[in-house]
Amino acid sequence: MITTKGLTKVYRTRDREVTALDGVDLHVPEGEVFGVVGQSGAGKSSLIRCINLLERPTSGTVTVDGQELTALAGNGKRAGKELRKARGRIGMVFQHFNLLSSRTVLGNVELPLEILGHSGQERTRKAHELLDLVGLADKAKAHPAQLSGGQKQRVGIARALAGDPKVLLSDEATSALDPETTRSVLQLLRDLKEQLGLTVLLITHEMDVVKAVCDSAALMRAGRITESGTVPELLATPGSELARELFPVGGVPSADGRTVVDVTFHGETTTEPVISKLSRTYNVDISILGAAMDTVAGKQVGRMRIELPGSYEDNVVPIGFLREQGLTVEVAGAAGDTKEREAAGGLVGEGAK
Amino acid sequence: MSWSEIQPLLFQGFWDTLYMVGWSTLVALVGGLPIGVLLVLTDKGGMLQNAPVNKVVGAIVNVGRSLPFIILLIALIPFTRFVVGQSVGSTAAIVPLAIGAIPFFARLVETAVREVDRGLVEAVQAMGGSTPTVVFKALLPQALPSLVAGLTTTVIVLIGYSAMAGTVGGGGLGSVAVQYGYQRFETSVMVATVVALIVIVTAVQIIGDAVVRLLAANRGAAAADGGAGKRLARLGRGRTVAVAAAVVVPLALIGYGIGTGGDDKDTLKVAASPTPHAEILEYVEKHLAEKEGLKLEVRKFNDYVVPNTATESGEVDANFFQHKPYLDDFNKKNDTHIVPVVNVELEPLGLYSKKVHKLADLGPGDTVAVPNDSTNEGRALHLLADHKLIELKPGAGPEATLGDIADKKGLDFRELEAAAVPRALDDVDAAVVNGNYAVDARLNPAKDALAAEQAKGNPYANFLAVKDGNQDDPRVRKLAKLLNSPQVEKFIEDKYKGAIEPAFGPVGS
Repeated sequence: MITTKGLTKVYRTRDREVTALDGVDLHVPEGEVFGVVGQSGAGKSSLIRCINLLERPTSGTVTVDGQELTALAGNGKRAGKELRKARGRIGMVFQHFNLLSSRTVLGNVELPLEILGHSGQERTRKAHELLDLVGLADKAKAHPAQLSGGQKQRVGIARALAGDPKVLLSDEATSALDPETTRSVLQLLRDLKEQLGLTVLLITHEMDVVKAVCDSAALMRAGRITESGTVPELLATPGSELARELFPVGGVPSADGRTVVDVTFHGETTTEPVISKLSRTYNVDISILGAAMDTVAGKQVGRMRIELPGSYEDNVVPIGFLREQGLTVEVAGAAGDTKEREAAGGLVGEGAK
Repeated sequence: MSWSEIQPLLFQGFWDTLYMVGWSTLVALVGGLPIGVLLVLTDKGGMLQNAPVNKVVGAIVNVGRSLPFIILLIALIPFTRFVVGQSVGSTAAIVPLAIGAIPFFARLVETAVREVDRGLVEAVQAMGGSTPTVVFKALLPQALPSLVAGLTTTVIVLIGYSAMAGTVGGGGLGSVAVQYGYQRFETSVMVATVVALIVIVTAVQIIGDAVVRLLAANRGAAAADGGAGKRLARLGRGRTVAVAAAVVVPLALIGYGIGTGGDDKDTLKVAASPTPHAEILEYVEKHLAEKEGLKLEVRKFNDYVVPNTATESGEVDANFFQHKPYLDDFNKKNDTHIVPVVNVELEPLGLYSKKVHKLADLGPGDTVAVPNDSTNEGRALHLLADHKLIELKPGAGPEATLGDIADKKGLDFRELEAAAVPRALDDVDAAVVNGNYAVDARLNPAKDALAAEQAKGNPYANFLAVKDGNQDDPRVRKLAKLLNSPQVEKFIEDKYKGAIEPAFGPVGS
């Protein structure tokens, strides 16, 4: 539904150049919720703005719903008629809502309909419908200043849906909201996706958002996509940074001469009591150093760090058993692993942007 | 002056001020709004980013804002004449007022529009909105409270500027305050006009603030504001009310102006200084003109340039404020063709003092104030020389300056604007004051002057003047005859008690 090829964005100032996007190839399949995560400055914001050409990419192409947007007329900051029309079919939701304080809630939802050229009566009818859809039917006459953050974002979503878009872009839509509200807004997005068959591209720095709604995710680092795939795929990928960020497990070995193993559960295996089976079968004492389990896209997934007595050589057979059960097993050289994560980390702590 | 005399001045001044400010506000709104928006749009990172346009428009706005208003007023005279067909009067004052206010308001618009969150622009663009959509649906509505506040400030600045409109005969409260309060020592008029101005400015500010509050309340910020704003907001849609007020109020004022702007072909329009020229003309208009079938319209000017340029361009038919040396100099320097018709009166220049009682008491170390314009200064120096207070270099002409003095005899001179000289009397030992300003300052040339010019053969008699070729206009002839009538002679003698003397007859060359 959304495809970018070799997307590059270079910002030029008088004395230097900053490469925000460095050849991004992204494919978002129809009907998916696709999350792009990354630290601030990784290029997420530039990426989402290049999708509807709010920012014109320096090179590369963007295709949305079979239409190559980068080929449409539009010179610099000014968007041509065709591009504006295409934008009308792409909804966008913003971190700071970007509602007009000069208009009522209803007026805000009517604005895109005005741009699309709907008649007055038609606009009001449709706007009421949309407000009903996001659960704000009773707030039509209120002004944005009278709403809570979550309500404002619901208005933002209703507004984004006005043009019956197939694609919804979400720019850190929940980053300004508290966790409770974040969950309800994400649930709304999920429901709308099912109900309207939307394809959603969202950028976020919050792993919880990916866990809560995303079918697929990509990790951005310094203007490049470094990992990309469905969430189960990512979890099944040994050494996946995203998997580690999604389910961070901590814990250090209790003594020398023990083997630390990270086990990733995904798919069918999650319901099997694998650890107790392992313990019984091989008569080993297993310590659980850390674990993170959650529901992703309706399936139980998670990661666990366990400690087995003896060196790796002593544990080849038990580890083989775990792999046979369909689990992803990584042997972590305890000290090195911790260091590595510190170097890579910081994603979770980025909330103060 | 009594209240019954002040009242019509105040009313006329009030309406003139409203008329000028109303119109110029509307023009500033229409002109400043697009310029301000353009400055934002063409700025770096703007939707229509265009550095050359932005720099040029910005530079023009800066030039407009740095010109002192009085300079703009004079510099724009040809343009004003081109736009409204005349360069004097309230309507003519609107042009420089508006041109002065456009860049001022444009900058306020720029600031207001720049304050609008960029995210909103992005949101409208993401919906597929074009640049005009962004401007009209997001930028302007969002900036409306700030725009109203800016407009309020502009109106108040315009009220201040309009005080200078008297220079081109525009009238208005500020000009009444200057004309009567400053030049004629009518403190009661000055206090009344200043109070009226304070009331108007306060009212404008209160209305402006109320509209801003109303708009804010309408945006749901009422919780913090409470009471009044919220109640007003319920009365109607705040934005509609604000826009309507911004349009209707100036329009109403304009309507008044059109009603009073009638132009009668038969009427002889005469530009004059307020004292004594306009007073003499008003006497003629009230008591003598009707019998002769003459329709007269007297226009008062505080300035000595505009009456001549207006006569040259035909916007007024005649003027009465000047003497021969001044006119000759003016004609030469400005390439105008104004000719004298008939002498009327002389305002003898006199030497006055609050410190000494006779000429002989003035001596080395004393300071003497003299007018600073070329004609009056020369005239003053000749008066002093005639009374042996100084010696002029041989051949010093009518336009003698301090540099033409051969021997100052120890006197120290202060050069001041003619109108300001009587005010300096407390600070100097003596001053040479023009007759009309002396009268205004309650001085009596016949009694108070230590020395005064001779009326006989004086080249400084003031005359009625017209553009060359109009001398024989029957209306001009009638007015000339009336100005030299026995009734006018009596009027001058009774009213000015020797401070101003009748000096009838043809003008010598």
